[in-house]
Amino acid sequence: MKRRTLLAASAALAAIVAAPMATASDWPTRPLTMVIGFAPGGSTDIQGRVLANVMEQYLGQPVNVVNQPGGGSAVAFTRLKNTTPDGYTFLFGGTTALTFTPIITPVEYEIDDFEYLAAVALGQNAIVTSAAQPFATFDEIIEHGRSNPMTYAQQTPLDEAIIRAIAAEEGLDLAIVPTGGGGGMAPLVLGREVDFAYSGGTHAQYTPTGEMVVAAFMSAERSPFYPDVPTLIELGYDYSIEDYRTIIVPQGVPDEVKARLISAAEFASTAQAFIDITEGNTFFPVVFIGQDEMEASVRRIRAATEEVMAN
Amino acid sequence: MDFSAVGAAAAEALTLASFIGIGGGVLLGYVVGVIPGLSRSVAISIAIPMTFYMTPYIAISFLIGLSKGTAAGSAVSAILLNAPGEASSAATALDGYPMAKQGKPKTALQIGLIASVAGDILATIILIFVAIPFARVALLFGPYEMAAILAFALVFIAGLSGGSLFKGLAAGGLGIFLGTIGLDNQTGLPRLTFGYTELMDGLPLIAVAIGTLALSEMFVQSERLRYDRANMAVQLAHRPDDRITWPVMKRITPTILRGTGVGTFVGALPGLGPSVGSFMSYGMTVRAAKDPETFGKGNPKGIAASESADNAVIPAALIPLFGLGIPGNVSAALLIGAFAIHGITVGPLLLRDNPELLYSIFAGMILASLIMLALGWFGLMVFAQITRVPPHVVIPIVIFFCLAGMMLQGYGAFGLVILMAFALLGYLMKKYDYSFVTFLVAFIITPMLELNLRQSIILSRGNWEVLLNRPIALFFIVCTVIALVMLAWRTVKTGKPAAGAPAD
Repeated sequence: MKRRTLLAASAALAAIVAAPMATASDWPTRPLTMVIGFAPGGSTDIQGRVLANVMEQYLGQPVNVVNQPGGGSAVAFTRLKNTTPDGYTFLFGGTTALTFTPIITPVEYEIDDFEYLAAVALGQNAIVTSAAQPFATFDEIIEHGRSNPMTYAQQTPLDEAIIRAIAAEEGLDLAIVPTGGGGGMAPLVLGREVDFAYSGGTHAQYTPTGEMVVAAFMSAERSPFYPDVPTLIELGYDYSIEDYRTIIVPQGVPDEVKARLISAAEFASTAQAFIDITEGNTFFPVVFIGQDEMEASVRRIRAATEEVMAN
Repeated sequence: MDFSAVGAAAAEALTLASFIGIGGGVLLGYVVGVIPGLSRSVAISIAIPMTFYMTPYIAISFLIGLSKGTAAGSAVSAILLNAPGEASSAATALDGYPMAKQGKPKTALQIGLIASVAGDILATIILIFVAIPFARVALLFGPYEMAAILAFALVFIAGLSGGSLFKGLAAGGLGIFLGTIGLDNQTGLPRLTFGYTELMDGLPLIAVAIGTLALSEMFVQSERLRYDRANMAVQLAHRPDDRITWPVMKRITPTILRGTGVGTFVGALPGLGPSVGSFMSYGMTVRAAKDPETFGKGNPKGIAASESADNAVIPAALIPLFGLGIPGNVSAALLIGAFAIHGITVGPLLLRDNPELLYSIFAGMILASLIMLALGWFGLMVFAQITRVPPHVVIPIVIFFCLAGMMLQGYGAFGLVILMAFALLGYLMKKYDYSFVTFLVAFIITPMLELNLRQSIILSRGNWEVLLNRPIALFFIVCTVIALVMLAWRTVKTGKPAAGAPAD
């Protein structure tokens, strides 16, 4: 405990010392590090690398991507908390490790340890099924499930909790299996080993071929790429999983530096390269949500998630 | 097949830029493969940003070339130093190192290279002509089948190792136990992490593999350097008979074909990976041999079996990737990201929408194999010179690479602690004749086996009769039982396991 206080104190001291040196015009003066809390190759990594490239053009300094996978970004957040808050090291990724992970797993960080500067893309949490199944929409899945035992492939305890609640409400006989991620989900759905499944974005690779269909979105709003697919909320189930791909720094970064990072993010959200890859390849809508709204969203989602998991 | 597209593809494959790109990838991969401590997946993830400025075709061929290069290069350190550069070449060391010590390091390297290139080219051809239309077959392998295959692989590979049955059980049991560390993949609750966030995804495989395979070997060799200096270094005498001959080629050809078959099968099934492939192939070769007692003592077939399967896995892992969009292993998953950065979605649509690119990549893959042959052939003359460097110089360099590689891969000081702990464990296992191979394979297979077994039990709702409709799963369960019975029988009868483990 004592060591941690000392660390925090020295970090605060460093921030005080560093603050006068950084002014809006000359920051950054050396290369930056973008931390990605997942292994290379996933949607966060792809978006992050393109984002780094675009931010580099705006900031005039290289932005190096470092992957720190583990525990769905929990490892990366733990380390981020202990970095010098000078803005040279920031994290890009989803907010689930803050809004969800601490509820079920003891972690060494909390929402207040960080600042949420800007979101540039919206997560696409969906419920998917195979095109070869006798059902395609979420209502048809429920209808089928009333007279047949069903199977569902989860990826997180949160989507499992939501589906369990819906199954109990509708009286389904549902068996739920783990998949170990989107890569493990696809063969189960396409091979029709399971009836339906959760997808955090992997479906973008399979819906264009017509092999996989999105039955419903777990996000709060419909996806612009699947305008006909309703959300769970629209279907009358009051659950959602929201995820914002956000630029996150540890508490204590000087205001001028934060402003520079936020404007770099805003620049990226209008850059064609970033939009093309993020929307065209990962099917995540590009947005720009500023710090005030993000700080509120993260806390709101956390409270809603705690409520779902409490049941 | 669209022939104008094939023609255009071949033309693009033969430009100077593609030679440089692919050649660079293979060379880089080869070097990464040789150095214990740097692994394939890390090399690919570090190289992905380098491909931003290449055309999609060269970028992808560069990365595939790099993959192939690591698989071939890792044989070099396995043979010359007994410190495999990748876990999948651990089986190569079993016969490669004894052969090198017998004064035939070049022959061993040549066998390794030829087996690598042959396995690679054959599997690439299978990928191009046969596999993509049949990629859907992989979907027949659901959780039941995968669980059965993994259980079989575990028992079969464990059966190869030396020592007593009980020591084997201890080593395998420890591997299974350590393989369960990390977040439970359904509830997300931590298991045996003792509050360390770093352990949430389990012990890092790279640290465990490098520690038990490469670093521990350096400890063993340092000790030998002190007490047994005369009998340790691989000597490079310019013996005229130290080269591969036609009779040897003929002997290893069937082995290479079998290895390619096993490697292609394992590669095409999502999730299994090259280590399972090379050890399965090695095991099947030992079983099929008339002289199983010569394995582990420098049998050229041992090298050929392991290397051909190791390399065949690389192109075969692209079968489900191109056919279904599902990556066959970690390196193939990284390729999805590389494709996406270039604005291409991998999967069955690639053949329809972008056939020229796909054929170019195929042409590039064949080119990569040929470059690998040329590069490896000259490279082994250079690498064979390592044997002239005295061990007291080589050992610290290898230790340095192991530690530096760990840091480079972003595991930090925690990774170094794990690495050291497993180096010590590996050293003790080698010293007291516990099979580190059984340990490592159990560690690698356990998480996959657990997930698939768990899926099977939940999906079947505990009703085993489901298996009657799953003939493939049933087949592998029967194989597992037979392998278990044979293992037990052998132990009871002779008190000694079959050959396979190095005697030292």
